[in-house]
Amino acid sequence: MADHNDPNAVNSAFSDIDVSAADLYDLFGFPSADTAGGEKAVIALTMATVPETGIFDSDMLYRVQMVAAPRASWPGTEDQSLDTLLKYFSAVKEKYLGIFKAAEIRVTVDAGGRAHLSFLRFPGGDFNVSIATNKVETVNTPNGHAIQAFIGGREEGFFNDLPGFFRSINYAPQFYHVPHSMTEARELPIPKTLIELEGNDLFNFDPATPKWGKTMKKDMPPGPWTWTGNKFKKDENGNYRFVYDGEDARAGKNCNALIFEIPLAFITPDGQKNRIVNTWGESWVLKAAHKVEAIPDEPFWHQHPRALLDGSESDEQLKRYKLVDTDGLPFADAALSEREDNRQLGANNFWLAPHFIKRLAHLGWGFGPSITALGLKTSFDHDNSPVSVHKTYALAVEAFPRTRKTLFQKLNMPDDSWNPKGMDIPLRRPFEIFVPNVCAIDMDTTGTWPFGRRPEDQVATRFLALFLDMDAELNGKKYHVETLGDPALWASAPIVPKTPPNPLRNDKEFLDHFPYLAEPW
Amino acid sequence: MAKLTDYRKDLEKIERDLAELANPSDTEQVTRRAYRIYQRAALTGRPDEFTAAERAIADALERIGPWPDLCLIKANLDMKVHRLTGTKRALEMAPGLAESYPARVLWTDIHLQEGRYQEAKKNLEELIREDRTWDNLARLAYWESKFGETENADRIYSEAQDEITAKEMREYAWVELQKGLLDLRRARHEQAAAHYQQAAEAYSGYWMVDDHMAELLGVEGKYDAAVELYQHVLNETPKPELQQAFGELLAAMGEEKEADGWFDRALAGFLEASDQGGVHYYHHLVDFFSDVRENGSEAVKWAHKDFELRQNFGTEAALGWALYRDRQFGEANAMMDRALASGVRDAHLFAKAAAVKAATGYSRDSEELSRRASLLNPRHQGFHVHRS
Repeated sequence: MADHNDPNAVNSAFSDIDVSAADLYDLFGFPSADTAGGEKAVIALTMATVPETGIFDSDMLYRVQMVAAPRASWPGTEDQSLDTLLKYFSAVKEKYLGIFKAAEIRVTVDAGGRAHLSFLRFPGGDFNVSIATNKVETVNTPNGHAIQAFIGGREEGFFNDLPGFFRSINYAPQFYHVPHSMTEARELPIPKTLIELEGNDLFNFDPATPKWGKTMKKDMPPGPWTWTGNKFKKDENGNYRFVYDGEDARAGKNCNALIFEIPLAFITPDGQKNRIVNTWGESWVLKAAHKVEAIPDEPFWHQHPRALLDGSESDEQLKRYKLVDTDGLPFADAALSEREDNRQLGANNFWLAPHFIKRLAHLGWGFGPSITALGLKTSFDHDNSPVSVHKTYALAVEAFPRTRKTLFQKLNMPDDSWNPKGMDIPLRRPFEIFVPNVCAIDMDTTGTWPFGRRPEDQVATRFLALFLDMDAELNGKKYHVETLGDPALWASAPIVPKTPPNPLRNDKEFLDHFPYLAEPW
Repeated sequence: MAKLTDYRKDLEKIERDLAELANPSDTEQVTRRAYRIYQRAALTGRPDEFTAAERAIADALERIGPWPDLCLIKANLDMKVHRLTGTKRALEMAPGLAESYPARVLWTDIHLQEGRYQEAKKNLEELIREDRTWDNLARLAYWESKFGETENADRIYSEAQDEITAKEMREYAWVELQKGLLDLRRARHEQAAAHYQQAAEAYSGYWMVDDHMAELLGVEGKYDAAVELYQHVLNETPKPELQQAFGELLAAMGEEKEADGWFDRALAGFLEASDQGGVHYYHHLVDFFSDVRENGSEAVKWAHKDFELRQNFGTEAALGWALYRDRQFGEANAMMDRALASGVRDAHLFAKAAAVKAATGYSRDSEELSRRASLLNPRHQGFHVHRS
């Protein structure tokens, strides 16, 4: 009986997980400096180079979605209660799911390397074009706009000390061979921290194996995988040990990318009112049943030329694919959604709002005390704990008081360059940034994070700045999103190595013109 | 140069991976190597590859100890060859493994194999609620096909297919074969052929598709085409159960002498595996001595062995049938009643139970069971492969 109905004979439950073309890396979005002919938004979705740099998997479908809207702001009340916050999330959800129907650029690339683009639900009507890959192309829209498009391989625009981040959250698979079957052995129940914990032998830097967690892993020691210490680690000179070393884990690597420079007037008929372009990306993989249909390999719309020309039919196309990954905000997945497959919700991550509060508190108990230990002020209320604490919450209502300031504080910018027009634009606050999980490009700013995301933004370090107290000052200047990226801060801090947590710039210069991401290596 | 089939491409990829893993240096690589060898065995279905997989897993365990993923591979292999005790033991080898999702999935198979049908279904439904994977949906569909409505099973198989992506075409083909079998067992040959054709298009060059197609051709009396296909399949994967099936086809064609040669080979293969401690051919030996070379006492011997390992409707019916062949009608009747009490609805079970009932004087029950067998599959008495 079951020997002849044995799905395990054909599944790959235990295989190592291959790098997948569905693995989205980053979403960049910012206003173009080139305003000739009108304002334009630049949106770039990057993904793994599978099968190769500049060559796309013809079973994949990518969506770059966008909705333009007026600049949203907190109702104005200073009532910073959980109830008000959840009502705000609910109102934003209604706005996204009720009023708006996102426009999108849908992209597939056929086996011959030609990209097929469908522009859907834009005000000027739907249309399809095919363009060459690995080449800047101009797409002329039916209503007279010109969109710059590049579908191809680029240099990886993300620069980040990923092992450092994983060390900070005690993420075992980065450092150990962790069995796929042991899902409990991912983030180990050890306090998250920016500086090493005394006796945390599971994750502290080992001078004998400097490449540990970078290019080599160790076998998982027998449990318990916990920490029983009570202080941060200090060396003989009284210095703390940073969990970061600032090395760029993505140096020398490439990505595949979908990059567009889109006139704002194409995205919205009322660009004066709708100053925020909310955008996010998705990867979808063709379902097997439709792969069989597609033999011999023909792009869908060659056989069904009208299929994409109205909404209902386009949904029919999407039914042929399965959603795999979403990307809106940097660190929304890794830091807040814990990389769970069922949390790949993109703009629809509203139901995660209570989880977001609990997770932020969990991170705060780790990062808050380590920030304090370094002599900085934190936005997280950790009761002056002398050391990081591993604490999880079952209820948002319990976590909320600890995170109130972290959630509601305005994130200061290092200077006014983000606001070149000098407009009255409120600084953004974490709760506005992470729910929904979209990159919100403010067309009146430079689009630097959190007003969008520019390639040169060091977003990993800026993410950590959420836990700084933005009312505090350093050398007469209020903390801001780049405070932790200031080398002078680390030079004077009791810590080694004396480096900002993440590299300050990419290993290859970005371009000052379309397609902005550098040529591939 | 001829284009490689999907099956060959997958085999080549496994070989390439194995070449890279020739000297595995760490736990992950050792595990991956063992997994690849197991994967090759599952893909080819060849007994010698399963022996190699078993050896590779044992070597790996010796080298790195009870690494959870490795234990899981061992548990899967043991399940595949009916060593339920081995499966349970493997799941207990690594702390915490038994509670993991993949281990819980294997436990549903164990429940089913040990006759705890409702527990198997309940657990499966729970697992599907947690994570809607194609393989668990396929398990549930199989359950439904045996105990519930065939239409339900077909629908759930379709739902399973909806979870399978273009990166898993072999899995898709496999589910198509299951859907084809559902049709074949209802004598819907055209629909079965369409599913098999779809499987062949989805994943080219797969012997398992040809095996099913050959059976269908045989059922339809298209003997020449069936023979050609069986020869091709046997060339690819000389499994004793396929040799038996081919022999049965030849016998149906009246080629008794040639059939005998294949039966000899099949029997030698079954016995060789059993001599080496294998238990997975016990039920084939029961079938063989019940229906191919009738020998009641031998059939009962093997049926008891299988029954001792796992007590479910399949082993109950097989033992009942073997007892019938051994003319122990009373015991046969009791055992058939146990199988029928499981709630399984299967034309072959009903037909065999009908024969037993007739031999024990329950003629009305016998008639009713014959009627039910014909209702499920009006052509259940013709050539068929012993897949269950």
